[in-house]
Amino acid sequence: MKLNITLPKFLRIGTLPLVLILLMAIAAVVAFTRYAFGIGAISDLSYSYPWGFWISFDLFTGVVISSGGFLMAGTVYILRIKEFEPLLRPSVLTAFLGYIMVAVALLVDLGQPLRIWYMMIHWNHTSVLLEIGICVMSYLTVLAIEFSPVVLERFPKLHKAAHLIHRYIMPFVILGVVLSTLHQSSLGSLLLIQPQKLHPLWWTPILPILFFASAISVGLSMIILESSLSSRYFQRGLETHLLAKLAKALPIALGVYLVLKFGELAIAGDLGYLFTSGIMSLLFWAEILIGVLIPMIWFSIEKNRTSPNALLTGAIITLLGLILNRFNVSWFAVKHPDPLFYVPTFMGNVDYFPTFPEVAVSIGIFSAGIMAFGLLAKYFPVFEAEHHHVEEVHETVHGLHPAPTPGDD
Amino acid sequence: MTDIKHHAYLFDATRCIDCRACMVACSVENNIDMDKTRIWVAGLGVTGEYPILQRGTMVYHCMHCEHPDCMSACPVGAYTKAEDGPVTYNPDLCIGCRYCMNACPFGVPHFDYDKGIVDGAFIDKCTFCPQRIYNGQEPACVQTCPTDALEYGERDELIKRAHERIAAHPDRYIDHVYGEFENGGTSYLILSHVPFKDLGLPELPETPINEVSEKVMEMTIPFALGWGAVLTAVSAGVAAYDKKLALSKVEVKNGKSAEKKAEESK
Amino acid sequence: MTQTISRRDFLKMGAATAGALAVGSMLPPKVAQAARGAGHLNAEGDGFIPSMCEMCVWRCGLVAKVVDGKVVKLDGNPEHPHSRGKLCPRGQSGLMNTYDPDRVLTPLVRVGKRGEGLFRKASWEEALDIVAANMLKIKEQYGPEAMVFSSTHNLSQVQFENLLYAFGSPNYGTQRSLCFNAMITAFQLTYGVEEPARNYEDVEFILMVGRNMMEAISTSETGELAHAIDRGAKLVYLDPRYTKTASKATEWIPIRPGTDSAFLLAMINIITQNELADCDFVKKYTVGCDGIVAEMQKYTPAWAEQITGIPAATIERIAREYAAAKHNALAHPGWRTSNFINSFQTERAIATLNALSGNVLTAGGCLSAEVAAEGAGLGAPKQPPYPRISALRLDGAPWKYPLVPLKLGVFQELRDAILTGEPYQAHGWFISRQNPILSLPDRAKTLEAFGKMDFIATVDIIMNDTAWFSDVVLPEASYLERYDPLLPVGDKAFLRQPVVEPQGEAKSALWIYKQLGERLGLGDFFQYKDEEDYIRQQLKPLRVSLEEVIEKGYAEMPEEEDDGEITFNTPSGKIEIYSETLKNAGFSPWPTWEEPPMPKEDEFYLLTGKVAQHSQFGTQNNQLLHKYSDEPRLWMNAKTASQLGLEMDDWVAVTSAVGQVHTKLLATEAIRPDCVYLTAGYGHLSKGLKTAYGVGASDSALHVTYTDPISGGQALSQTFVTVKKA
Ligand SMILES: Nc1nc2c(c(=O)[nH]1)N[C@H]1C(S)=C(S)[C@@H](COP(=O)(O)OP(=O)(O)OC[C@H]3O[C@@H](n4cnc5c(=O)[nH]c(N)nc54)[C@H](O)[C@@H]3O)O[C@H]1N2
Ligand SMILES: Nc1nc2c(c(=O)[nH]1)N[C@H]1C(S)=C(S)[C@@H](COP(=O)(O)OP(=O)(O)OC[C@H]3O[C@@H](n4cnc5c(=O)[nH]c(N)nc54)[C@H](O)[C@@H]3O)O[C@H]1N2
Ligand code: SF4
Ligand code: SF4
Ligand code: SF4
Ligand code: SF4
Ligand code: SF4
Ligand SMILES: [Mo]
Repeated sequence: MKLNITLPKFLRIGTLPLVLILLMAIAAVVAFTRYAFGIGAISDLSYSYPWGFWISFDLFTGVVISSGGFLMAGTVYILRIKEFEPLLRPSVLTAFLGYIMVAVALLVDLGQPLRIWYMMIHWNHTSVLLEIGICVMSYLTVLAIEFSPVVLERFPKLHKAAHLIHRYIMPFVILGVVLSTLHQSSLGSLLLIQPQKLHPLWWTPILPILFFASAISVGLSMIILESSLSSRYFQRGLETHLLAKLAKALPIALGVYLVLKFGELAIAGDLGYLFTSGIMSLLFWAEILIGVLIPMIWFSIEKNRTSPNALLTGAIITLLGLILNRFNVSWFAVKHPDPLFYVPTFMGNVDYFPTFPEVAVSIGIFSAGIMAFGLLAKYFPVFEAEHHHVEEVHETVHGLHPAPTPGDD
Repeated sequence: MTDIKHHAYLFDATRCIDCRACMVACSVENNIDMDKTRIWVAGLGVTGEYPILQRGTMVYHCMHCEHPDCMSACPVGAYTKAEDGPVTYNPDLCIGCRYCMNACPFGVPHFDYDKGIVDGAFIDKCTFCPQRIYNGQEPACVQTCPTDALEYGERDELIKRAHERIAAHPDRYIDHVYGEFENGGTSYLILSHVPFKDLGLPELPETPINEVSEKVMEMTIPFALGWGAVLTAVSAGVAAYDKKLALSKVEVKNGKSAEKKAEESK
Repeated sequence: MTQTISRRDFLKMGAATAGALAVGSMLPPKVAQAARGAGHLNAEGDGFIPSMCEMCVWRCGLVAKVVDGKVVKLDGNPEHPHSRGKLCPRGQSGLMNTYDPDRVLTPLVRVGKRGEGLFRKASWEEALDIVAANMLKIKEQYGPEAMVFSSTHNLSQVQFENLLYAFGSPNYGTQRSLCFNAMITAFQLTYGVEEPARNYEDVEFILMVGRNMMEAISTSETGELAHAIDRGAKLVYLDPRYTKTASKATEWIPIRPGTDSAFLLAMINIITQNELADCDFVKKYTVGCDGIVAEMQKYTPAWAEQITGIPAATIERIAREYAAAKHNALAHPGWRTSNFINSFQTERAIATLNALSGNVLTAGGCLSAEVAAEGAGLGAPKQPPYPRISALRLDGAPWKYPLVPLKLGVFQELRDAILTGEPYQAHGWFISRQNPILSLPDRAKTLEAFGKMDFIATVDIIMNDTAWFSDVVLPEASYLERYDPLLPVGDKAFLRQPVVEPQGEAKSALWIYKQLGERLGLGDFFQYKDEEDYIRQQLKPLRVSLEEVIEKGYAEMPEEEDDGEITFNTPSGKIEIYSETLKNAGFSPWPTWEEPPMPKEDEFYLLTGKVAQHSQFGTQNNQLLHKYSDEPRLWMNAKTASQLGLEMDDWVAVTSAVGQVHTKLLATEAIRPDCVYLTAGYGHLSKGLKTAYGVGASDSALHVTYTDPISGGQALSQTFVTVKKA
C-alpha cells in the first residue's frame, strides 16, 4: 500500500507498524472502558463463564507459545549444543515479550489489577494459580536477566555489566528451566479442580504432564515459526539446517505426547468418548489431527525439513492444533452448571461468546508484542548473525554464549 | 452465643414452592445490589408433556463445602472455612482472578462485572448470615421460608432428620441425601423427589474434588528441587564432558596426531 | 398498547436509577417516637419493633429491624398466628414499598389533562379543602348518592365506611365482587357464615378448586397445607393450569374452565347415591338430606365426563376417596372465586361436599363455621347515627341482585352504571387503597367512567394508575409508617404501629378521613384526637394501655364462651343444602349445573391469577419483587403454540371482544391447550411508576364484564381471546 501524502521522514512508518499501532490504540480504548466501567461493560463474561477468550488466548496460549525460550536456553546452556546459539536470543526475546504480554493481559482481566502483587505476599499454598503466578513473575525476572546482555551490549559503557551477567548466568538458566517446567505443566493443573466441568476427553490427573509434553512441541514450532518470519521480515538468512534439526525432534516429542494422551484415555476407560461426544469428539480429533498426527507425518518427511516453506507450514499447523488444545481445555470443553430455569435476568447469561472488545484487547496486546519484537530486533543485537559489524562486542562480551563452566574459574 | 457445633441447612425440594421469599429475604438482610443475588432457583422447572407434568425446584446458594474448592483454588487465600461450618470470603485480599468461580462446582461465587477499578470488583457469595446465626437467629433465607423447605441446625441432626424423612416416605424421595458425602460433604443438605441432576446439582464423588490438585501442589516443591538438582548435575556433567572433549582435542593436536602418523607410516 | 422495551433493558434502567437497595437513601430518617418510648429503640434509633404486614390482606405479624431510624429488615413475628415467624416474598419486600423512589410524599393537585400525569404539589390544607369543596358541591347539586366511594379491604376501612355512611352515599365499591363474592354468598346462604375457617391439623384429603395456595400465598395457611402434604395428606387440585400448587398435589385435574361444578356435582352424586356420607351428621344438621339423592341423580360421572373432559372413573374414585376420609376431608372454599357466572354453583357444591363429609362440627374437623364477630370486645369512638339513605345503589344490590350481601356489592355494575347514568348519574369518586383502573374488568370502560366524573380523589402511597387519572392525590403513610385500628386474630388484638415516622408529608388514613370528615361538616363522626387516641378508645374495654400494646405488639382479648351448641346463622338454623332463600329469589334451591359459555373454534379461555411475588395491582413497582419475579408473558400450551406457528418469546397480539394487548409468549406444557393465561397486575398505565411502567400487559384490558346474577361476582375466566403474532 502506498500513501499519497508525503510525510516528513521521521513520521514515515511502514504499513505493518501503522496497523499495529492502530490495533494497540483500539485495545487501549477498550482497556480504559474496562477500568472505568468494569469487565462486564466490554466482555461477555458472566457468572457462568468467569473465564473466556482472554484466559484461553492471553494466558494459556501466551504462556505456551513462549516455551521456546526455556527450550533454547536449556539446549544451549545446559546441554551446551552450541550450534543452536543463533536461535537463542530470538527465542529468549519471544519468551520475554510473551510473558510481558501475559502479565499485561492479566492486568486487564483481573478484577483488582492494582493488587496483582498480593500474590507475592498472601500465599495460599493449595492454589495452582498461586504457583503459576509466582512462577511467571519469577520467570519474567529470569528472562529479563537472560535477555539483559543483549540490551547492555548495545551500550559500550555497559559491557562490563553484560560480562558479569554472562558469567553468572547458569543458575538463572537452571532456575528458568525449572520455573518453566513448573508453570507450563501447572497451567494444566489449573483445570484439575474442575473434573465435572471439563469434558472427560480432556480432564485427567496427568493434565500437567500433558501440558508440559505439548509445550515442548509448541516451543519447537514457535522457534521455527519465528525464525522463518523474522528472516523474511528482516531479509535475513534462515538457519534452515538448525530448524531442520528441531523439526526432526518434533515427531518424537509429539509421539511421546500422543502416547501419553491416548494411554491415559485407555487406562481411564474414556476411549468411548472419542466417538460418542458429538462436537467434543470432533474438537478432540481436530486437535489431535492438526496438532499431532499431521505434524508427525509432515516432519517425518525429510524434504519438508529442509524446505523453508515446508518448515514454516508445518510449524503453523502444529501450533494451530496445539493451541486448539489449549482453547479446548480452557474453554470449548468446559461446561458450566446447567442453565437455571429461573434467575433474575442479570444472571441469565449462560452462553459465552467473546465480544469484539475482548478480542480487540488481546489483539492489541499481541500487536504490541510484535511491535516490540520488531523494534528490539532492529536496534539491538538479537540476531547475532546480522550484527557482525559490531565485531569487537561479539568477541569480547558474547553475552549469550555458553556460560563458562563452573570449573573454568 | 450458639450451641450449634456444625451449622448446616437442609433443603427439601418436595416442600419448596418456588416462592422466592428466601431470595428477597437474603437481598434485604445483606443489602445486596438490585442486580445481584446470593441465592437463586435452579432446576428444570416444569418437565414432562401435558398433562403428565412434574416440577423440580432447587434453591441454590453456597453449599459451605467441608472441603471448599473455592478456598483451595484462591491464590491469595481470600476464603476461610470456619470450624463450625460457614465458608466465608474476605474482600480485602481478593485480586479478582475469578478462579474460585471456576473451581466451585456449584457456580456459587459471583463477581462484580459492573464495577471499575475505582469501585473495585469483588466476589460475592452467601455467607451463612453470621450476623444472624451467631446472634441466635436462623439465616434470613431459612427463617422466612413459608413451607419449611429450608431448615437450619446441627449438621448431624439434619442428616438424621433427612434420612428419617426418606424412611417415612420412601415413595416420595430419592433415597439419598445430597451433600452428606458429595465432594467430601457439604453443609447444605438436599432432599429431592427428582434426580439431583435435574435440580442442576452436579454429580460429585465422595472424595473432595480438590484432592487431585492439592496433591499435585504438594509435589511442587520437592519436584522443583529435584528437577533443579538434575539440571545442575546435567549441566555440570555436560560441561565436564565438553572440557574433556576439548582437552582431548588439544591432545590430538599435540601428541595423538603423532601416533596417527606413526600408524599411517606402518 | 405495545411494549417495545425489553425486560433486560428495563432492568438495566431500573438498576441504574435504583442502584443498590436504596434503603432510606431518599430522605433523612425519622425515628418512630412511640416505639422509642416503649423501649424498642435505643439512643441511636436501632432496635426491633413488632407490627403487621399489609402487602396483602392476610396481615402477618412482623418484627421490623430498624437501624439509624431506617427499616433494614422485616422478619415474621413468631407470636402472630398468620406469620408464625415467617413472611412470604411480598412481606419480605415490604420495606421497598416504603422506600420506593416513586412514593408520593406530598398531596398533589392535577394541573394537566386527566391522564397526562401533570400535578403540582399542594399543602394538606389546600388539598383537603379542594377535595371537601368538590364533594360538597356534588352533594349539593346532585345529592350525596352522586359521590361514589371505593376502597379495598384494609384496617382503616371502618373509618372509610364511616366517612361514606356519614356523607350519605349508598355507592360503595369494594374489590369483593371481583374476588370472593361467589364463595361468600354461597357459604352465607349455606352455613350462615361468610368464610369458614380451615383446619389442617388432621386433614387427610383436600380438594382444592382453583385455590392456588402455593402462589396466591397466605403465609400461615400455605405453610399448613405444605405440612399437611408433607404428612401424607392427599391433595386433589382442579385448575386448567399446572400451577405450583398443582405440582405439590397428589393429583392435578386440568379441568375445563367453568365446569368445576359438573365435576363436584358428580362427586356429590357418587357420595349420595352410594350412601357414603356421614349420614348421622347430614340428617341432623342439614336441610335437604332427604331430597338430595333424587336431586343429584342426574349428575352422573358419565355426564360430568362429557362436560369436564375428566374420565368418569377418575371422578368416581376421587369422590370415594373424599368420602372415605370422612370428617378429615376438606373441600377448600377457595378465595378468588370470580371465574364464571356459574361460580356461585361451584361454591354451593363445595359447601355441600363439606356438609356431606361432616367436617364442619366434628371435633378436629377440617372446616369451622363459627361466626367470628369482627372487632367484638373492642371499643370504638362514639358517633351519631348515620343519615337515612333513600337512593338506590348504583351497583344493583339488592334491587337487581337480591341475594348479594350489601357489604359485598357489585363493583363492576357500579362502574357500568356510571357509564349508563342509570338509575342516576354519579359525578364524583373518592378512592382509597384501590386500583380499579386495573382491577375492574374492561379497562377501557373504567377509563371512560373516570372521564364522566367531575371530580376524582385518590388516597394511595404511590402514583398508581388510579392516582394517575385522579384530580387530587392524597399520600397515605405506608404501613410501616402509620397506626391502623387494631386487628383481632384469635384471642389477641394485634397492632400496626409506625416502625419509622412517615416520610415527607404522608399521613395515616385515620388522620386523612378525620380531616376530610371535619371539612365535610361531619366532625361528629370522627371523635378521636389522633391515631393513638383512636386505639386507646379501642383498648378501653380490655383495660390495657396503649403503651403496653406498643411494646408487645398485641393486646390479649377475653376468651369467648363456647356453649358447645351447634347452630348455623341460616333461616333454618341448619346447613342449607336446600335453600328456601334461593328458591324465593327465583333461583335453584339446590346446587345445580348451569352451562357456561364456551370459546369458539379459534378462541381461548383467558385465565387470570396471582404470582407469589406480587400482590394484585399495587406491588409491581416494588423493586425487590420486580427483581425476583418472572417476566410476565402469555402462557400458551406449547403444542398449541407450535400449531399456530408461534414460538417462545414471540410478541403476540391478544384480542378479546373489548380490547387488545401485545405481550410476549410463554410456550409451556403447563396449561390446557384451550386456555391462555396472563398474570394479573401488569401493564400499568401510570408513567409515575418507573419500575413497573412498560412491563407486561394487562388482562383487565381484555376482560369482558359478566356478572353472576346470584352472587354478583365478576366472571374473570369468561373472556375469550384470539392470539396472533404481533
Ligand atoms: N402472592 C399473592 N398472594 C395473594 C394475592 C396476591 O395478589 N398475590 N392476593 C390475595 C387475594 S386478594 C386473593 S383473592 C387470593 C386469591 O387466591 P386464589 O383464588 O388462589 O388465586 P388466583 O390466582 O386469583 O386464582 C387461582 C387459580 O384459578 C384458576 N382458574 C381460573 N379459572 C378457573 C376455573 O374455571 N376453574 C378452576 N378450577 N380454576 C380456574 C387460575 O388458573 C388460577 O391458577 O390470593 C391472596 N393471596
Ligand atoms: N384481571 C384481574 N382482575 C382482578 C383479579 C385478577 O386476578 N385478575 N383479582 C381480583 C381480586 S381477588 C382482588 S382482591 C382485586 C383487588 O383489586 P384492588 O383492590 O383494586 O387492587 P390492589 O392491588 O389490592 O390495590 C391496591 C392499591 O393500594 C395501594 N396501596 C398499597 N399500600 C397502600 C397503603 O398503605 N395505603 C393506601 N392508601 N394505598 C395503598 C396500591 O398502590 C394500589 O394502588 O382485584 C380483582 N381483579
Ligand atoms: S422460601 Fe422456601 S418455599 Fe419459598 S422458594 Fe425459598 S425455599 Fe422454596
Ligand atoms: S459451594 Fe462453592 S463457594 Fe461454596 S464452599 Fe463450596 S466451593 Fe466454595
Ligand atoms: S477472585 Fe478473589 S476470591 Fe476468587 S480466587 Fe480470585 S482472588 Fe480468590
Ligand atoms: S444464609 Fe444468609 S447469605 Fe446465605 S443465602 Fe441465606 S440469607 Fe443469603
Ligand atoms: S401473606 Fe405475605 S404479603 Fe400477605 S400479609 Fe403475610 S407476609 Fe404480608
Ligand atoms: Mo382478592
